[in-house]
Amino acid sequence: MKRITVLLTLAVFVLLSAMSFAQIELTVWYHDGQEFERAVIRDQIERFNASQDRIKITGVEIPEGTYTQQVNAAALAGRLPDILDLDGPTVANFAWGYYLHPLDEFMTEELIEDFLPSIIQQGLYHDNIWALGTFDSGLGFYANKSYLERVGARIPEGVEDAWTMDEFMEILYDLKELPEVTYPIDFKINYGVGEWFTYGFSPFWQAFGADLIDRESFMTAEGVLNGPEGIAAGEWFQGLFTEGLAHPNPPGDAEFVEGRAALSWVGHWAYVGYNEALGDDLVLVPPPIFPAGQAAGMGSWAWSITSVCEDPAAAWEFLEFILQPEEIVKMTNANGAVPSRFSAVELSEYYKEGGPLELFVEQLNTIAVERPVTPAYPTITSVFANAVDNIIKGGDVKAILDRAVRDIDRDIRDNDGYPFEW
Amino acid sequence: MAKHVSTDKRRGFKHALIFLIPGLALLITFMIVPFASAFIISFTNMRLIARIPARFIGFDNYIRMFQDDVFGRSLLNIFYFVAVVVPIQTMFALGLAILVNKKIKGATFFRTVYFLPTVTVMVVVSVIWSFLYHPEGLLNGFMNTITLGNWTPIDFLNNKAWAFPAIMLMSIWQGVGFQMLIYLAGLQGIPESLYEAATIDGANARKQFLYITLPQLRSTTTFVVISTTILAFRLFDQVYMMTGGGPERATYTVMLHIYTQGFVRQNVGYASALTVVFFLIVLGISITQRFILKEEREVA
Repeated sequence: MKRITVLLTLAVFVLLSAMSFAQIELTVWYHDGQEFERAVIRDQIERFNASQDRIKITGVEIPEGTYTQQVNAAALAGRLPDILDLDGPTVANFAWGYYLHPLDEFMTEELIEDFLPSIIQQGLYHDNIWALGTFDSGLGFYANKSYLERVGARIPEGVEDAWTMDEFMEILYDLKELPEVTYPIDFKINYGVGEWFTYGFSPFWQAFGADLIDRESFMTAEGVLNGPEGIAAGEWFQGLFTEGLAHPNPPGDAEFVEGRAALSWVGHWAYVGYNEALGDDLVLVPPPIFPAGQAAGMGSWAWSITSVCEDPAAAWEFLEFILQPEEIVKMTNANGAVPSRFSAVELSEYYKEGGPLELFVEQLNTIAVERPVTPAYPTITSVFANAVDNIIKGGDVKAILDRAVRDIDRDIRDNDGYPFEW
Repeated sequence: MAKHVSTDKRRGFKHALIFLIPGLALLITFMIVPFASAFIISFTNMRLIARIPARFIGFDNYIRMFQDDVFGRSLLNIFYFVAVVVPIQTMFALGLAILVNKKIKGATFFRTVYFLPTVTVMVVVSVIWSFLYHPEGLLNGFMNTITLGNWTPIDFLNNKAWAFPAIMLMSIWQGVGFQMLIYLAGLQGIPESLYEAATIDGANARKQFLYITLPQLRSTTTFVVISTTILAFRLFDQVYMMTGGGPERATYTVMLHIYTQGFVRQNVGYASALTVVFFLIVLGISITQRFILKEEREVA
């Protein structure tokens, strides 16, 4: 009798303690971007865990280079975490594959309106919002002001005031004459053949009037990527390398900061480092005006809740935490990115009116083009990045683009046009 | 009497089975099951991320291979790689093994040095060699110095003609230590008395090498050639790290193609079909090699 009482008391104790510690444990995967980005996320997870004891977040950092492939493999193996960050253009593919939980069910109209339209645009696929970033990206030319002044180049004030194509080419040839400059443009080819090639260089195709895919149907790239405009873009781009105006193989990341390049075509993430190195000599220049206008990149890493997450509401609490304007600014102050909410833009030293990076916000609202939101994107980017690589290395532009179009169209056919309803 | 033998035999079989189980279990789990599933998947249109369930599409993936000029290119590339690397690496391995087998001071030191690249992770080796091959790297700098500045720097890894030879050189350097070690073991297994007898008969070093060392190393050579061939066919890490298969697919290999199709473009069905075909090709070559080398041994 006594023994039973003891056992019962024990059982009750165990049950009670289990209940009080019944925490919801959620795993978060994120790409191990730059050191300071990682530090911010680690700190946010820590503070979120400390702020309450119902939900416990465990963060896992995964190397950026193969992040998407690893997430794909995990999805196939049924081992996805509860929350993960995805590179913007891969969101559609994941949503299409039933791997994500829509976020708009948690969002008020007011909240949706506070996000930059570009953030919503990138996360929106078939009437639902599947991902929300804490930041968007900015892409443009960082220029060495004293070099520009020495060749007598005009410094544009805003998007509309940009260099024309002829003006731009003239400036490049002039810059090449400077004794310190080996190659006027650093295109960050050292990042390697990958997402950067699509993000960084597809705007040139768009500014020539071409595109990665037909955005009406999302069914073919024929005539869009390899039409006369596409070939003109490719030949112009190849020319920069054959004429010695851009470095085809920079030995490292320091061409611009060490003064061997006068212009650096790269995203917002370079700002903090460049600003430290060049100070007042650093000036941001919008994309030049090409035959069909201007284009800049858009979109960046964004947070999603997966469909395997057993408690999406708890996961949303964490996202809500890191998407607060104050938290967003902590991240964007570290990595120089565009804050994803208007209320955060106002808080940001870089982006508020008169801030040094205001141009990026202007670009996002005017000339930025999102990478195609389609489940075919993983193939499109892989094919296009390869094509750009071959173009840089001097191949026949038309043949390369024809080949790319064939590969993209084949993939879309293989998947029956990626039907959403079937 | 007869009964005894049969129980012994039966018990022997049982014991053998017990010893076999761990090995068999591993083989089945990690080799046979994955391969069987690859074989089945190769007849479907399975995707890595998919909304539509995979369905059987017959031989479509196999037919598609014939239209896939990139696959053709990658096959040619890998055959070229194997044809160059296997003989050279085998010869170098033998040469090195003979060198470090000499009973001189410091031989152990050199053995370790030659073996070091093999135990270094390929990814690390690739990164370091990318620096060496860079137009502003050590190799171009060295050439510039010895030609007194008359050298035009070559961007080895981005040059269609140079990229693959550069990777071959690096692969041989990295892999040769392993084969050297096997040859070293083979060399140390040759009885000293054979050389003594040959010396008494008046055979010079060259003849001793041709008529004693080489024939005695025949089974070692068989093993070295076959294992080097299989390893060479799997070429992936170096090209993935150093060139990504470029420039213009000059270094694109079959493994890289399988990886790209399966993991990047997410076409798992097609990637599986490629794997099956590639496996059969390598298997065929290994069996042929074994057959040829074995026959020679019987003739000898």
